[in-house]
Amino acid sequence: MGCPRCSTPAVHPGRRLARIALLGNPNTGKTTLINALAGTRLQVGNWPGTTVEKLEARLGDLTLVDLPGTYSLFATTPEERLARDALLADPPDALLVVLDAGNLERNLPLALEATELGIPMAVVLNLFDEAREKGYDLDPARLEALLGVPVVATVASRGEGVDRLIEAVQTAPVPAPAVIYPPAIERALARVAGAIDAPAARAIAALLLAGEPVAAPETARKAAEAARKELAALGLDPFLEITGARYARARELFQQTLRGHNPRPTLTDRLDRFVLHPVLGPVLFLLGMLFVFRFTFLLSAPWVDFIGGVQEVLAGWTYGLGLPGLLASFLADGLVAGVGTVLAFAPVLFFLYLAMSFLEASGFLARSAFIADRLMHAAGLPGRAFIPLVLGFGCNVPAVYATRTLESFADRLRTALAIPFMACSARLPVFALFAAVFFRERAALVVFALYLLGLAVGLLTAWLLGRFGRLEPSTGVMELPPYRLPRARVLLLQAHARTMSFVKGATGPILLAMVLIWALLHLPPGPLEQSLYARVAGALAHLFAPLGLGDWRLVGALIPGFIAKEVVVGALGVSFLGAAPPDALGFLAGLGQLAAAFLAALQGTLAALLALFGLPSLPAAAGGPTALQAALRGAVTAKAALVYLVFVLLYTPCVATLFALRQELGRRWTTFSVGYQLTVAYLVALLAARILP
Amino acid sequence: MRRLDELTPGEEARVRAVETSGHVLRRLFALGLRPGARVRLLRRAPLGDPLEVRVGESFVALRQAEARGVVLEEG
Ligand SMILES: Nc1nc2c(ncn2[C@@H]2O[C@H](COP(=O)(O)OP(=O)(O)OP(=O)(O)O)[C@@H](O)[C@H]2O)c(=O)[nH]1
Ligand SMILES: [Mg+2]
Repeated sequence: MGCPRCSTPAVHPGRRLARIALLGNPNTGKTTLINALAGTRLQVGNWPGTTVEKLEARLGDLTLVDLPGTYSLFATTPEERLARDALLADPPDALLVVLDAGNLERNLPLALEATELGIPMAVVLNLFDEAREKGYDLDPARLEALLGVPVVATVASRGEGVDRLIEAVQTAPVPAPAVIYPPAIERALARVAGAIDAPAARAIAALLLAGEPVAAPETARKAAEAARKELAALGLDPFLEITGARYARARELFQQTLRGHNPRPTLTDRLDRFVLHPVLGPVLFLLGMLFVFRFTFLLSAPWVDFIGGVQEVLAGWTYGLGLPGLLASFLADGLVAGVGTVLAFAPVLFFLYLAMSFLEASGFLARSAFIADRLMHAAGLPGRAFIPLVLGFGCNVPAVYATRTLESFADRLRTALAIPFMACSARLPVFALFAAVFFRERAALVVFALYLLGLAVGLLTAWLLGRFGRLEPSTGVMELPPYRLPRARVLLLQAHARTMSFVKGATGPILLAMVLIWALLHLPPGPLEQSLYARVAGALAHLFAPLGLGDWRLVGALIPGFIAKEVVVGALGVSFLGAAPPDALGFLAGLGQLAAAFLAALQGTLAALLALFGLPSLPAAAGGPTALQAALRGAVTAKAALVYLVFVLLYTPCVATLFALRQELGRRWTTFSVGYQLTVAYLVALLAARILP
Repeated sequence: MRRLDELTPGEEARVRAVETSGHVLRRLFALGLRPGARVRLLRRAPLGDPLEVRVGESFVALRQAEARGVVLEEG
């Protein structure tokens, strides 16, 4: 059936389509729709050269492409530019324009704009249930007749109406342009479009006329430039004229589609009175953050331990094979440990993504940005930067990925470069080791001061970048979406896909780093004092002498600390106390350990679920000093220990964070970030060495 | 000349002009804040800034300084 009321017949009835793109305002349900159409075959990738996620799904021989949410082809953010360029440079075979039926008048201009792209299209009136709840009585058939393309009403979250979509889009016609502009603009458009040989000529001409930097032939550019001058002489601003005509037409269409409206207060009106309350709001918000934190770390901890257990068993088996010592060590301490390091991030990432996607899709993320905006503004950051920064105290890796919710690259850059200074949970064991030996009663105070120092350095970094990096200032303009209960299935699928995309990408680089460190430690074979590691550490120790850190064993541990901070403790142990002999493990004994580790993880998850709703408890106080602590006391002064901790706090957090930075910011900024972190760490530690009594 | 940041919570007015430029202007237009639109100030954030306004079915947050660029009709 397709589109019985459409004026133009379908161009190629029954043809098979290759690529269908979903275009729509942010939060109109595009991702939910793709999921409803294609089920579990969701894929998350990155758009080439950018940090924005690319979601694709296969449906038979169709590929559904989820474009970033966009208000208009007149792009104001990198995501919008991306959506526009994807449409113009590599036009899909058909478009599904997804509109929020409950906010139709504001959503329609995008559909009108899309009619100028010269691509077969169908319109989806999604969120039809919400429209009804808001008291709108809409007539999709009328809109279909007015626009001349199929219009389908859907409730994507419940799968209602989606079965009609594929058929509608496969028989969709190329629409006639839906807006007629004032005569002067039409003449200019005709002139510019005449110089463009593409189906989207009219859309491109409109963009050029408004001064948008889109790819176009030189003749078209020149024509647009001339036309702009002529229009300016007439006192006409092409952008205002073009958008004005679209808004006016959208209003007409909306009013003709509307059968009736009796407004009703919605859940959002009622909830926001509490969530955005001047006093209650911030309290609720802090509690919410605490909950996200506890959710992530309580639930992931048992699985991180489980991965550690599996790693131990695999290493034990490797040692049990009777291979030559160096080879066994390479396999167990290099390869197995490397893969284990990557996998140990997976549970944390998964649960954090889950929490983040929930916050984002439910509407809470935008509210938290609203509440925190004033605070973040002081550091030149937008309100949305608050959550990534706070997440950094848990783990820098997902925190860096969480900067994706920021609108501009400038904001993402500022925030992402500040995150590595947030003292993540992996730095705590190092702090705890030293603080317990050297600062006894004041241990908690020292650790707290370190956290604050990290935060201060991070915020200062963001501020300096904004001040001197010639970055555009952040804006506070954003939409607060209505509250919605996201589908658990979509959240789980998305969290899984994103986690896997990290694991796939990060395994190579982290493994490489791990193998390098292994080689340093184990080559040439023999005692540690004669290894490459000791030699490099000895050279570095000269560099650190001005900080009062001349001991190669201390300085050396910073090298594997580059892989992950918790490794520093182990490395100190090896340097100060010597390596523990590897435990070989029989096959059956190993299986037993695996089963036990799995059971412990399940048990831990259960306990975590219970603890989630209980009160936070402080970690139990450690017993007497360990052998390592005793050795450290003999080797370092309290002041040197503090300087060491300052350096550990501020220097490059871990390879995984670097990998995340590279994915988000590119190679150049990541290199800059490493240099910057090392310099800052060294200078602040030097300062500490000078001013501490 | 009244401006958007001078409304009291709950008050409604019609937009006469938007005196900003570039990205902020385009974003405000896209969200419905353009000449002729009716806007209502809903609330201010806990520290007084930003503001939340309602235009049609959209809820829009914007900073005080950005709201100053939105000129309202008298009366
Ligand atoms: N009630 C209702 N909720 C829906 C419907 N479609 C989607 N949602 C919900 O709306 C929210 C946003 O949906 P998404 O699919 O993430 O929207 P999107 O268009 O992909 O958003 P962006 O990627 O930000 O542009 C989610 O919480 C969905 O569960 C619908 O038809 N009815
Ligand atoms: Mg989406």
